[in-house]
Amino acid sequence: MAATRRLQKELSDLKSPNCALRKLFRDITVDESNILLWHGLIVPENPPYNKGAFKIEISFPAEYPFKPPKVVFKTKIYHPNVDEKGQVCLPIINAENWKPATKTDQVVSSLIALINDPEPEHPLRADLAEEYTKDRKKYMKNAEEHTKKFSEKRPAD
Amino acid sequence: MLVMGETPAAVTTPQLSQLVVTVSSARLSTPGGLFSSKPDPYLELSVDGQPPRKTDVCRKTLNPKWDEHFTILVTPYSKLDLKVLSSNSLRTDSIIGHSVIELYPILEKENGKLKNYTLTVELKAEGRNKAGDLTLILDGLDVNMRQYPRRQQNGPRQANGLSTTASPNVSPSSPLSETSLTPQSQNGRPAPNPRRPAPRAPGAPNALRRTPPPLPPPPINASSTTPAAPSTAPPPRPSDATNSGVATIAPGTTAQVDAPLEPLPPGWEMRTDPLGRTYYVDHNTRTTSWERPQPLPPGWERRVDDRGRVYYVDHNTRTTTWQRPNTESLNNYANWQEWRGNRTLEQFGQRFLYPQQQSQAQENDPNGPLPAGWERRVDSNNRVYFVNHSNRTTQWEDPRTQGIMQEDPLPEGWEMRYTAEGVRYFVDHNTRTTTFQDPRGGPQKGPKGAYGVPIQYERSFRWKLGQFRYLCHSNSLPGHVKITVSRDNLFEDSFAQIMRLQPFDLRRRLYIIFKGEEGLDYGGLAREWFFHVSHEVLNPMYCLFEYASTNNYSLQINPASSINPDHLQYFKFIGRFIAMALYHGKFIDSGFTLPFYKRMLNKKLVIKDLESIDPEYYQSLLWIKENNIDECGLELFFCADFEVLGKVEQHELKPGGSEIRVTEENKEEYINLMTNWRFTRGVEEQTKAFLEGFNEVVPLQWLQYFDERELELMLCGMQEIDVDDWERNTIYRHYQRSSKQVVWFWKMVREIDNEKRTRLLQFVTGTCRLPVGGFAELMGSNGPQRFCIEKVGKETWLPRSHTCFNRLDLPPYRSYEQLVEKLNYAIEETEGFGQE
Repeated sequence: MAATRRLQKELSDLKSPNCALRKLFRDITVDESNILLWHGLIVPENPPYNKGAFKIEISFPAEYPFKPPKVVFKTKIYHPNVDEKGQVCLPIINAENWKPATKTDQVVSSLIALINDPEPEHPLRADLAEEYTKDRKKYMKNAEEHTKKFSEKRPAD
Repeated sequence: MLVMGETPAAVTTPQLSQLVVTVSSARLSTPGGLFSSKPDPYLELSVDGQPPRKTDVCRKTLNPKWDEHFTILVTPYSKLDLKVLSSNSLRTDSIIGHSVIELYPILEKENGKLKNYTLTVELKAEGRNKAGDLTLILDGLDVNMRQYPRRQQNGPRQANGLSTTASPNVSPSSPLSETSLTPQSQNGRPAPNPRRPAPRAPGAPNALRRTPPPLPPPPINASSTTPAAPSTAPPPRPSDATNSGVATIAPGTTAQVDAPLEPLPPGWEMRTDPLGRTYYVDHNTRTTSWERPQPLPPGWERRVDDRGRVYYVDHNTRTTTWQRPNTESLNNYANWQEWRGNRTLEQFGQRFLYPQQQSQAQENDPNGPLPAGWERRVDSNNRVYFVNHSNRTTQWEDPRTQGIMQEDPLPEGWEMRYTAEGVRYFVDHNTRTTTFQDPRGGPQKGPKGAYGVPIQYERSFRWKLGQFRYLCHSNSLPGHVKITVSRDNLFEDSFAQIMRLQPFDLRRRLYIIFKGEEGLDYGGLAREWFFHVSHEVLNPMYCLFEYASTNNYSLQINPASSINPDHLQYFKFIGRFIAMALYHGKFIDSGFTLPFYKRMLNKKLVIKDLESIDPEYYQSLLWIKENNIDECGLELFFCADFEVLGKVEQHELKPGGSEIRVTEENKEEYINLMTNWRFTRGVEEQTKAFLEGFNEVVPLQWLQYFDERELELMLCGMQEIDVDDWERNTIYRHYQRSSKQVVWFWKMVREIDNEKRTRLLQFVTGTCRLPVGGFAELMGSNGPQRFCIEKVGKETWLPRSHTCFNRLDLPPYRSYEQLVEKLNYAIEETEGFGQE
């Protein structure tokens, strides 16, 4: 497949010990039969999300890199920019912004940045965005509780 | 919304299998007072309320032997309704006795296999007395009973085993059984109906919401290695369902739905791959899918044709399709129907208002009759020429198309000639050169012509059109060709007739007949036929075309069309149909993409052409073109992937391409190859079939002088109304251009907006679209017919129109206000009338 070589290269870069994202994006698994579908674990650094980790799924279209990948959260997350279905609006993989040279590590970095610092001005969940701007304390409390309750265990190291 | 506890199996239609029923014989009791002599018995067999099948009549016997075989389609839950009737030539046939056989208990006992299974059932007469016995043989059914759990019934279920009296609790398994519920009340017990009311509006949002919710998501996968849903779009994920208008019933991604799973349809099998992921094998089509097959929506049925091919019947709309319906396809269908509905209504407004009042003799020539005193002849070289008897001259040029062009004289030293094919060219004796380009194209009166393009360009377009019309005209054949279609089955009827005819027959004058409707076709019916067929062409259930993008209604070939086994025949038909539209100067309502027109013209497609049909792809290619790619790790090679019907296929852009890396050096070649491939992938065969069909009716080289925009204009007509052009090309009867009513008329036209102008145009011409050449080329029933305003009647009258002549009957109103009021009234009334 045309996209295979590109994705294999990206995958090995992401898994390399030199990768800057090594601690933040881990447990990357790819089906042998389908390199277009990746799973991984996001380990955010900022509170309240630093109480847990979040599974994501990245799916690449057959026309990759002519068309951008899609990212979906598989773990519930209390965040103004992630909706109840785990969908997230990431400008870097928007149709208008997408460039065939954009790499998955950039996409994941951008995702982690968004998780660490929510952008309430472009919310997918208006209720959370409002809470985030108007009552940060309450938001932090709710988000932390939610994270503890639903998120994945953070890796030991 | 959907109550899952409520016999989910009854909500869906289990898959159908074939069963051969042999109706052997019956032994009828001695007739009572009702029959004075022996009856003439025959048997009616109906499955789940479907229309019955009948045996022959046995004459005068109480022991009829039929030995007739019926192959019927059943599900394990089916119910066979058997009636023995006595044939009666004078009265309605009377029922001797009836019986209902439930298959399920029999299948349960026989482990799903029925092989020459003989059974005798008791026939009940109306008063529940025994009326006799009936012997049947059931054969050829083999189903996996593990897929068919015994259905939970709402009411107490009778353990009726092989007893064959009607069970009122049987869940009708086919949507048609809604009607079959009536016979059950013969038992004196009302049948509890486990089904909700049958869907009425096919494809309407209502019907969609009845679609059972998608099942819990299988492992999400871009389905790269396994065939999945017949869609070029990425397989729908549960999360995507939010966008499809069925969000209300889609279970959340994370939430597991506890509803019991439907049994798999016959021929389907659930498997687990080495990674523990579940997938589904469809042994019928030898495909696999990550998605669990969804049950068919209510009113749908799966059938197998005589060539063993699976297709689906939608009893709601009485249509069939090759594509297994899913939420997405039903959604597409609903959208298309809505769109088509709007289109039809728009046109319908004026179409039937004024019956064609014309009684002129039929003209065989699509350009209408020649002017008085003219004659068409053919010389010894088969070239058509024209004789003008009034001044005893001859000329190559058709006086009818010549008139439209209103040409200026040629410059000094130039001469106009015609090629043997009738294409006009120009000889410049000054330079001893020839050219197809008309030398008179210089700057004209104004900078812009009738359709907002420079006059020079317009003139050349007009010239090309003239040539095209000339070619059509000189290749027309005498007589007419009748095409009889029914409105209910327009597409299939048209397909059958057009493909049965010789292509050259389609160049005869068209005579369209809508079955069951009177009326002679002076062009209006043909116009209507083209209008409607052009809608059906993109009926998504045929899977032939798809919208190129969501924001316009331009069509492109659907790469997944091969799901329809006859798709190439259909494309050939559509090619013929489009050629006919051009040839006969008729329009279609829905156009194709510009790249498609370019392909028809055999023009090279460039990267810019991608923009309208696949903006993302275009952006990416453009980025590669505009940036130095050597340092960005694109890892591109001269090959590309394409996913169609869930299968990803790799294509080498050139031999050995998968080993040739794309570099800054060779990227130009790569971009060209990718552009070309993007347009051809998955549609080459179909395009070929289309062009083949087209070329049979109109040789493609006739189009060679046009560009794709002109081709689109020719095929679809113009949209924006240019009042200057309109006024310039209007003629008057019993009025002068300077008559005050005429002045007022144009004042009004300039004051109203485009929509109103369109309505006025519709009122008068019967269509909102204009021909390619603008108002100068307005066609009536008998060829070119300019917009005409005639003085008719008294000031108290309303304006009237004659759509076959593009004529407006405008009474001599006293004031501008009166004219505006009456015209408005006429236009608005018209629409109100048409919508009834």
